[in-house]
Amino acid sequence: MGLLNYLRSTILSKVVMAITGAILVIYVIVHTAGNLLIYLGQDTLNSYSQFLHSLGPILWIIRIILIVSAILHIVTSIKLKFENWGAKPTKYAVKNYLKAKFSSRTMIWTGIMVLAFVVYHLLHFTIRVTNPQHYYPEFYQPHNAVSYVLLERFDVYKMVVLGFKNPLISIIYIIGVVIVGFHLDHAIQSMFQTLGYNQKHYFPIIQKSSTALAIIIVICLVSIPISVLLGLVGGKI
Amino acid sequence: MKVKLHIWRQKNNKEKGKFETYELNNVLEDMSFLEMLDVLNEKLILEGKEPVAFDHDCREGICGACSLTINGIPHGPEKATTTCQLHMRKFKDGDEIWIEPFRAKAFPIIKDLVVDRSAFDRIIQAGGFISVNTGQAPEANSILVPKQNADNAMDAAQCIGCGACVAACPNGAAMLFVGAKVSHFAYLPQGQPERKLRVLKMVEQMQKEGFGNCSNLYECEAACPKEISVRFIALMNRDYLKASCSEEKLEVINNE
Repeated sequence: MGLLNYLRSTILSKVVMAITGAILVIYVIVHTAGNLLIYLGQDTLNSYSQFLHSLGPILWIIRIILIVSAILHIVTSIKLKFENWGAKPTKYAVKNYLKAKFSSRTMIWTGIMVLAFVVYHLLHFTIRVTNPQHYYPEFYQPHNAVSYVLLERFDVYKMVVLGFKNPLISIIYIIGVVIVGFHLDHAIQSMFQTLGYNQKHYFPIIQKSSTALAIIIVICLVSIPISVLLGLVGGKI
Repeated sequence: MKVKLHIWRQKNNKEKGKFETYELNNVLEDMSFLEMLDVLNEKLILEGKEPVAFDHDCREGICGACSLTINGIPHGPEKATTTCQLHMRKFKDGDEIWIEPFRAKAFPIIKDLVVDRSAFDRIIQAGGFISVNTGQAPEANSILVPKQNADNAMDAAQCIGCGACVAACPNGAAMLFVGAKVSHFAYLPQGQPERKLRVLKMVEQMQKEGFGNCSNLYECEAACPKEISVRFIALMNRDYLKASCSEEKLEVINNE
């Protein structure tokens, strides 16, 4: 297979992990920023969702890039992991880690959990099969309308609020996001190292920023189900 | 001082190994770790038992022959120190010490604590050199080397090829060793003519030997007795990427 030839090289495999990972991380950052619009109210969040859906083919191009990145990321990681297990057939009876962080050593497991979480998340909010009772249309007055009209659009705000009012769903999201955070803590700095950006004067900053960015993303995303559960967001719904 | 040793004993590569426990009562604080093992071996020989096989040579911390994973850390608990330069004063009276060989598929066990590290030699043979014409040595100052580059090259050249990086890596990867050897020449003008071919060939040989892949855990850097930095792995990654798109890559493909 011509496309998958890179898998024969250990370094090119790592580079594919880094580049596909970078695409997914950028997506997570944009997605997080978009989600925070929920704090600006129902109209803002629903308008944003309406805007995304109005992109049409562009939305699908983005989705295809993300799907291809995710597939390459997963295929490459599995190949690397099996080789790594093969290269260390006998484990030490006693092993003391000096520098390898817990998040770094568990990438394959957090990765599998992130995949499971993403599948659930897509079924819940994108394909919308897990909680069909939460999906309503919203009737709204467009800002630029010259006369009184009511248009119909999908009510994302209500869907999110009704979903997160269920403590079980909220807990799944909180755990899922924390696991994403663990994965990113190692991933972001690892990307720079793999692509060859490591010099004494800035790499410690990249390592700290990697952890900081992971924590910021987790806090932003976890705040949404918690705000809904506390009634701070969507109290009226 | 007294110590209780759990030592990996394995007759050869074919047979299964296991831990044997030995107690030593007459260990002096000023003994090196290897001298402590010498005392154990003398005792075993007097008792008519097979002494423990372990690698050693210069016992000055510069040759890279000694190995041993001591309490789960290659070359033991002291930072930036080879096993031969580790002293028993770093342990407490009554300590239990677990001694295992460097473990990796590419480092098969020969006997007890001795592993075959010739995979490293084959990686060096693949490209860890510069080609020069024989004859009179050139005038030393005819090729200028910036101070910064000389320092970086010397930092990379500190590598003694002991294999602690492979032993420490949960993936059994040799990226720190190969990264150091590639970078050592990459920083010097004499290394430039073969720079791309070198990184391609050395990485290819590394893969053939069955070393694992780098997961950027940086465990190698922490275990390295010469404190080789993982930034040399980053430099190798970059060089490899550039070389993969060059004419030299075509040469490697055509020679296969």
